[in-house]
Amino acid sequence: MTLKGTYSLPARRQKVWDALLDPGVLARTLPGCKSLEAVGPDEYRMHMALAISSLKGVFEGKVRIEDQQPPESYRLTVQGRGKIGFVNGGGSFRLRESEDAVTEIEYQGDVKAGGTIASVGQRLMNMTSKMMIKRFFTALEKELTAPV
Amino acid sequence: MATTTTAPKLKTHVGERIRRTEDPRLITGTACYLDDITRPGMLHAAVLRSPYAAARINSISIEDALALPGVKAVYVGKDVESVGGVPCAGSMPDLRIPNHKILAGDRVYYVGHPVAAVVATDKYIAADAIERIEVDYEPTELVSDPEEALQEGAVKVHPEYPDNVAFTFSQEGGDVEEAFRQADVIVKEKILVPRLAPLPIETRGVVAEYDEGAQELTIYSSTQIPHLLRTQLALQLNLPEHHVRVIAPEVGGGFGSKCNVWAEEALAAFVAMELKQPVKWVESRRESILVVAHGRAHVDTLELAAKNDGTLLGLKLHILCDIGAHHQLLTPIIPTLAVLMLPGLYKFRSFKADLIGAFTNRAPSDLYRGAGRPEATYVIERMVDKLAAEIGMDPAEIRFKNFPASTDFPFNSATGLQYDSGDYATAFNKALDIVDYKARRAEQEAARAEGRLYGIGISTYGEICAFGPSPATPAGGWESASVNVEATGKVAVMTGISPHGQGEETSFAQLTADALGIPMDDIVVVHGDTAKVHYGIGTFGSRGISIGGSALHLALQDVVAKATKYAAHMMGVDAETVTFEGGVFSSEATDSTLTLADVALEAHLCRQLPPGTEPGLAATRFFEPSNFAFPFGAHICVTEVDKETGEVDIQRFVAVDDCGRIINPLLVEGQIHGGIAQGLGPAFQEGVIYDDEGQLLNGTLMDYSIPKARNMPWIETDRTETPSPVNPLGTKGVGEAGTIGSLPAFVNSVVDALSPLGIEHIDIPMTSQSIWNAIHERSRT
Repeated sequence: MTLKGTYSLPARRQKVWDALLDPGVLARTLPGCKSLEAVGPDEYRMHMALAISSLKGVFEGKVRIEDQQPPESYRLTVQGRGKIGFVNGGGSFRLRESEDAVTEIEYQGDVKAGGTIASVGQRLMNMTSKMMIKRFFTALEKELTAPV
Repeated sequence: MATTTTAPKLKTHVGERIRRTEDPRLITGTACYLDDITRPGMLHAAVLRSPYAAARINSISIEDALALPGVKAVYVGKDVESVGGVPCAGSMPDLRIPNHKILAGDRVYYVGHPVAAVVATDKYIAADAIERIEVDYEPTELVSDPEEALQEGAVKVHPEYPDNVAFTFSQEGGDVEEAFRQADVIVKEKILVPRLAPLPIETRGVVAEYDEGAQELTIYSSTQIPHLLRTQLALQLNLPEHHVRVIAPEVGGGFGSKCNVWAEEALAAFVAMELKQPVKWVESRRESILVVAHGRAHVDTLELAAKNDGTLLGLKLHILCDIGAHHQLLTPIIPTLAVLMLPGLYKFRSFKADLIGAFTNRAPSDLYRGAGRPEATYVIERMVDKLAAEIGMDPAEIRFKNFPASTDFPFNSATGLQYDSGDYATAFNKALDIVDYKARRAEQEAARAEGRLYGIGISTYGEICAFGPSPATPAGGWESASVNVEATGKVAVMTGISPHGQGEETSFAQLTADALGIPMDDIVVVHGDTAKVHYGIGTFGSRGISIGGSALHLALQDVVAKATKYAAHMMGVDAETVTFEGGVFSSEATDSTLTLADVALEAHLCRQLPPGTEPGLAATRFFEPSNFAFPFGAHICVTEVDKETGEVDIQRFVAVDDCGRIINPLLVEGQIHGGIAQGLGPAFQEGVIYDDEGQLLNGTLMDYSIPKARNMPWIETDRTETPSPVNPLGTKGVGEAGTIGSLPAFVNSVVDALSPLGIEHIDIPMTSQSIWNAIHERSRT
């Protein structure tokens, strides 16, 4: 499954960049994220709750950030495993700052799922992914615009 | 036309539309299916399955699962190494059978591969405990697509078989190269026949119980083959077969999926013996779609050579069968049936078929309703239509031209089969009359003039049934039957077949009622328990009536002969002077009569035993057929395709089937209706979908689309009856007919509808989307 899209955040690029690479921010904004801890440079262990259709489960996985070109672009790979199957994905993020201090994030990636989540959740996977991305960016936007 | 010489006289039950005696218990919920069985102290098992299509198992941690209160035991591959592998009955010289353990060893080969089993005090605890097992999988490279699997340098499913070839099979008849040289026209096509999930309403299930005192293992399994399963379990578990009992309780459909020997059956048996407690395992619907051997799974390439006048000369076929990662019981045999039946109803002079079975990282494939014959019929019926279109001949005419005449039987097919009896033109004419073929063609012309897409699809199919002569079957093709007339005149019929929806409790009672002249209420038909009935082969391949019924017919003849001796002795006359009619023995000489019950009582009391006669009134007989039986028929489907949406409206569906002599038309029609549903499903919507990672993508009934009532057309059935000469009843079998005939009729109809657009073929399932795409590709170019 291919996912791509754009999202605009009302913040300067550097600020968005910093937030995107801040484990604390990510833990608060990633939907279903139970914990996120650094296990190495640009590598994190994550616990994430996921619900698709009638399936609910906790995924344990690794998140790695690669090819960083601050504050312009980076690559993210995710490997998650849980009782309802596994999800592997990778994608690139590109940040562009337009006038009025608005940063546009363009993302593009592939997600592969296996096990029960593939045979049962296939129908809803696309929609669920889009919904989760939207929730992530909405939460990130809140984080960025919150009064300090 | 062939006729039978020993058919019993028609009486009051055989041939009548008698309602199924099974139904009251089924529709009132008083039948006992596998999951209704409880045994004292019974535990429940659940199976953990691989989420990966290919992975190494580095370690399995079961401590958390064992710690859950209620969990009795957890088993992984090494715990059950003493249990023999899942058997495969194929016999090609180059057949490769990878070690098919009942639980995975250090590798998994397909999504759904059993990895571990939990046994707990209830099924919910077992399911929860499954989630607590930690398996460290290391995903490896895999190959999902069968065509890719055979390419040079493809990932090896089993490292020991680097070319991924599971077996090959070739057959040739006549001089096919000469036929192609003589041909005026050669048509070619590549046709995909996707994987199908068998989907019985009742999923698989097993209860195993071990009686330590008697040292007897009892297996209740939702199976079509209790005796064969008993033999195989005895071998797998290294148990003496006479200490193993298999019971098939009420079985809620099988369609071939329960004509198998499954890992879970041996697993449950092993666990029950280990823990000395009964254990039950019932499959979930998701497991069923994921791992119950899928049917079909062909990539077929065909070339057909013919004369310009429509005379069929020769056929070349290459079948690539996606067998999955392991063989099940009949996996390599099923596609050979497609080769055998490839010539269909036609007088081909020559053919050449090459079959190759490819290992893939997918669940095993095996038999599903029709097992090889739907695949053969689909491709040959498509090719004949394609040829007709190519040479501008009416598809009905080309069929008539190539049928053997009814006087040609027994007819030797190009593949070496001897078709027992047939009258193809009569059945086909009947179907054409019912649908009013000329009027439909006229209607089509009018519709086309208006730009509407109107199609008429024909399928004249033949099939191979009544399995079968033992030398041609992997585990014997005979059947057994016993008839016991009790002291009170009530009758127990024991049969070696194992009906699971076919209605033989009814049809066997009909045969018995007529033979013994007693009401059906006085007869019980016992089956599906190896401790109650004599060894038999089971129910599959439309063999119930033809083989099991014939054994019963012979046993009934023996009982009548013995009872006649008793009656004559009781009446003081010669046996030759006694007549038996309507359950009454009479002697004109003494003007006396006796009922069957009178004679049965005497046979038990033995106050005046006739000389040279043994007590009791019972008989056991076995029937071995001399050949298969070959039913046939014609299905015609009239459709209109909506150009804007690709939706197909089935306007008429006519099925004229000839399954030989009919015992109960109601049962025959039931088989035809259900069969047509299972043929039309894959025609327009059904099919298992795997992605290139070996993941099954439609694993629930929300995603795997079987036809609903609203998708089904009104079915107009009729029949001809050409008796089979290969069994005393003259029956042929009808279990697969609807599934075989309906699919090509639908596809040919839709292709016919789309032909003005230049469309020659669309692979199944022909969804509205694929039809719409084909229409729009054409209108773009």
